[in-house]
Amino acid sequence: MTRGSIAPPARAERLLERIVASSPYAEDIAGDLHESFNALAQRRSLTLARWWYRVQVFALVVRFMFRGRTRPRRKGQVMDRLLMEARFAVRSLLKRPGLTAAAAMTLALGLGANAAVFGIIGALVLHPYNMPAVERIVTVSETTPNKSDTRRETVSPANFLDWRRDLAGTVDHLTAMEWWDVNLVGRDEPERALGFRVSSGFFAAVGIEPVLGRGFRAEEESRGRDMVIVLSDGLWKRRFGADPAIVGKSVLANGAQRTVVGIMPPGFDFPQGSELWSPLSFDPSAAPIRSDRYLSVVGRLHEGKSFEDASAQMAVEAARLARDFPTDNKDRSARVYPISRGMGDDGTERVLVLWQAAALFVLLIACANIANLLLARGSERGREIAVRLALGSSRGRVVRESLVESVLLAVVAVPLSLGVSWLFLTVIRSSMPARVMRFVAGWNSMRVDAPLVATTVGLAVVASVVFGLLPALQISRNSVSDALKSDGRGGAGPGRHRLRRALVVAEIALVLPLLVAAILSVRSVTTLVTGWQGYDPEGVLMLKTALPEARYPDADSRRRFAADALERIGALPAVSTALVANVLPSSDAGSGRYIEIEGRPTVERLQRPLVSYRTVSDEYFSGLRLPIVSGRGVSRADQPSTLHVAVVSESMAKKFWPDGGAIGARLRVNDQPWMTIVGISGEVIHDWFEGRNAPTLYRPLAQAPPTDMMFAVRAKGDPTAIVQDVRRAIAQVDAAQPIFDVMPMRQAIRDRTIGLRFVAGVMGTFAALALVLAVLGLYAVMSYLVAQRVREIGVRIALGATTTDVTRLALGQAARLTAIGVGIGFVLAVALGRVMEAGLLGIVSTDFVTPVATALLLAVTTLASSYLPARRAAAVDPMVALRTE
Amino acid sequence: MKSEDVYLGELEQLLLLIVLRLGDDAYANPIGEDLRTSAGRRIARGALYTALERLEVKGCLRSMLGEPLPERGGRARRYFTVTPTGLRALRNSRRVLLGLWDGLESKLGTP
Repeated sequence: MTRGSIAPPARAERLLERIVASSPYAEDIAGDLHESFNALAQRRSLTLARWWYRVQVFALVVRFMFRGRTRPRRKGQVMDRLLMEARFAVRSLLKRPGLTAAAAMTLALGLGANAAVFGIIGALVLHPYNMPAVERIVTVSETTPNKSDTRRETVSPANFLDWRRDLAGTVDHLTAMEWWDVNLVGRDEPERALGFRVSSGFFAAVGIEPVLGRGFRAEEESRGRDMVIVLSDGLWKRRFGADPAIVGKSVLANGAQRTVVGIMPPGFDFPQGSELWSPLSFDPSAAPIRSDRYLSVVGRLHEGKSFEDASAQMAVEAARLARDFPTDNKDRSARVYPISRGMGDDGTERVLVLWQAAALFVLLIACANIANLLLARGSERGREIAVRLALGSSRGRVVRESLVESVLLAVVAVPLSLGVSWLFLTVIRSSMPARVMRFVAGWNSMRVDAPLVATTVGLAVVASVVFGLLPALQISRNSVSDALKSDGRGGAGPGRHRLRRALVVAEIALVLPLLVAAILSVRSVTTLVTGWQGYDPEGVLMLKTALPEARYPDADSRRRFAADALERIGALPAVSTALVANVLPSSDAGSGRYIEIEGRPTVERLQRPLVSYRTVSDEYFSGLRLPIVSGRGVSRADQPSTLHVAVVSESMAKKFWPDGGAIGARLRVNDQPWMTIVGISGEVIHDWFEGRNAPTLYRPLAQAPPTDMMFAVRAKGDPTAIVQDVRRAIAQVDAAQPIFDVMPMRQAIRDRTIGLRFVAGVMGTFAALALVLAVLGLYAVMSYLVAQRVREIGVRIALGATTTDVTRLALGQAARLTAIGVGIGFVLAVALGRVMEAGLLGIVSTDFVTPVATALLLAVTTLASSYLPARRAAAVDPMVALRTE
Repeated sequence: MKSEDVYLGELEQLLLLIVLRLGDDAYANPIGEDLRTSAGRRIARGALYTALERLEVKGCLRSMLGEPLPERGGRARRYFTVTPTGLRALRNSRRVLLGLWDGLESKLGTP
């Protein structure tokens, strides 16, 4: 490329040759350009020459494509005409660059919002899992006796084993999975990893095998032979330095030596961000159990079997189990789901439907705006079109031209909208904390991909037809004689004004529900995060531990660990109180028990009432500042040897002892000793699904020490400042015990509401976008209407109308439109509020104040936007106005 | 007879004159260059080819290819020459213009 033979940019040259091929001078054009390029490169610089060349080619391409030459050979007339119309449209769009840019940007925002939601839906719903032939992977869930409840339930070991035996041949490699938290010790600081215990068919079911070593063997499903694990790529690299020799060695996991047999490929973290897997084995005593349901089940459809085959056979199997084991399976059934639906929760889909609806609203508003812009231009061109119609141009052609223009706008807007959606998805993806993200399958795979582009293009075409057709039809319907007769203002008939006003009304009516929905979600989030919690989370640090059974086999050892840890933490100078519980409010865990109340008729276990279950240390109520309403809280004196006691929440007392008398009553869980209720506590908000009135049972930790313990430490100052001291204190009790999820309680509360904050954030963004578009739209239309009436206003002023009269006249018009729009929007807003209330699990509460206040606010905003045009109307000089004739 | 029917636009007149002036060196690049420097007309490259092609179709220009040249990526130059038809058309244009100018000296000032 250095001496003599400098070549122009190859791609541009090829394009040029292709495009000028039809010219008799094709060779020379390329040659001349080459020659000039050479000269320029020698005289100035190669870079400059190359750019010059590209610009020249671009100009020639545009010329040959649009200005065109009459080519003798053409396939058909249609293409010709379309090309000509496209050329025409390009010119007419370029003539009004401001308007074109405004329309394209508006459309890009509307399309971008939609594309972003498609992206989210694609990642979370359509292809959340990245596995081979993922459409053949199914999950199987039980359904509850309550027929109306379609909630998916986990499965008991015995039912699973029966399914696996009987479904073989229809669903292969049926696999049960059980959550398995693992404490890893050795090599490094003790660490807690998230794992799953899985049946031996797991890797075959998901279709992904370890890249190093092997998966599990069938015989490893028995106790004693199950001490093997497979590591995720991430864990292997992080903790074992990507050492391939680790396969075959043993590591200390949950207090026992387990042999690493395999390493999974990068990116594999099914299910739920799992980092290691171990065989799921059943005790001979556990295998026949049908009453405890704790397994998730996946499998792969057998070659040649369809999803329907599996569903049918599953129904038969479930019916048999219900018949043969009525105690545990009566009225129960089981259903097969494709994996993408089976693992997700229903809440996600409802939220996505809401977002999609909101995004469509934004797009509709954008379309209304563009239609209005095009209408305004259409009326400017009304006279030109009337002349053309009079000279024999067909109406079809005029409509087509207008449509071609809209499609061209869409062509410009699509790349812009993809940029908008990329921005949107990037912000959403990166604002999700990593520890939450791993539970949302597919979150990390959100991106602008081919299906998203295709959908956007499709939507753009539909949208452009929607906003293009309205003005097009309006234009062509013009009566020719009217347009020619009128005073050059271009046949602005009453019909067109009606359409324009209708569009404004529609915009306002669409914005209001969006605004209300956004305000409701934002308010719910703020209430949940900063509002009443029932206890005082300020200045509290929380952290978790999970005691492995191998080293803490009995209640005594766990009780001792809790007591020692609390003593050491409590002794730290910067700590005012320390307490421990199985589950702390606002943590991402939960625990429930079926209770039995003394003296009430006994019912089958699963029919008993379910309440939230907390075992707490004696400082719990005082430490969290959770009030005791009557009786007493848990005390240091409550020991295994003393009377077993319980404290219940007010809501629980009200639910089960509506007439009072809770204190002194006795209840029990799981056929354990009876507990006597000694106190009633206030309510707490545990999470936003349950809200504030979740019946809760508290009992002394000493009388039932759990394996999972959460510590809450109230600091005298900043809770983050004591993290190291607390870690050290626990390490002094047991150096091999990892602690995890260390964070201020405030942070935990924020994390718990992350889903809702996303809802609020996205809705807020959409609503803001919609509001801006609608206000701009109204402003444009009001300006236009005023401009159209300049002459009339001039006459009025000449006849003695005052500034106030004219302002009122113009504002009155805006007020009427606003009133109608707000009226319709209000109905929609209340309806949408209801949908949100139902869809968002009761955390969003509708009232009438919010829609009313929002409606007023919107009315004021829209009126303000038409104030400027109204003022302009009032400032009309009658002499000038009348002279415009 | 036929040549009388050929009407030349202003750009076409300029192009024919430039081709005549350039003589043996009349190919598109110097034609465009001269158009800019001598006549002060800057036209798009594409428009230049369109105009040259139209003149050839009208029979005012004839073109022939030269030798392939390395600085043109191995392509040949197309040299234009003015045909007798072109010359007649030019003379005709000149005659018409001069006729129209005649007698307007007092209004336009002496050229």
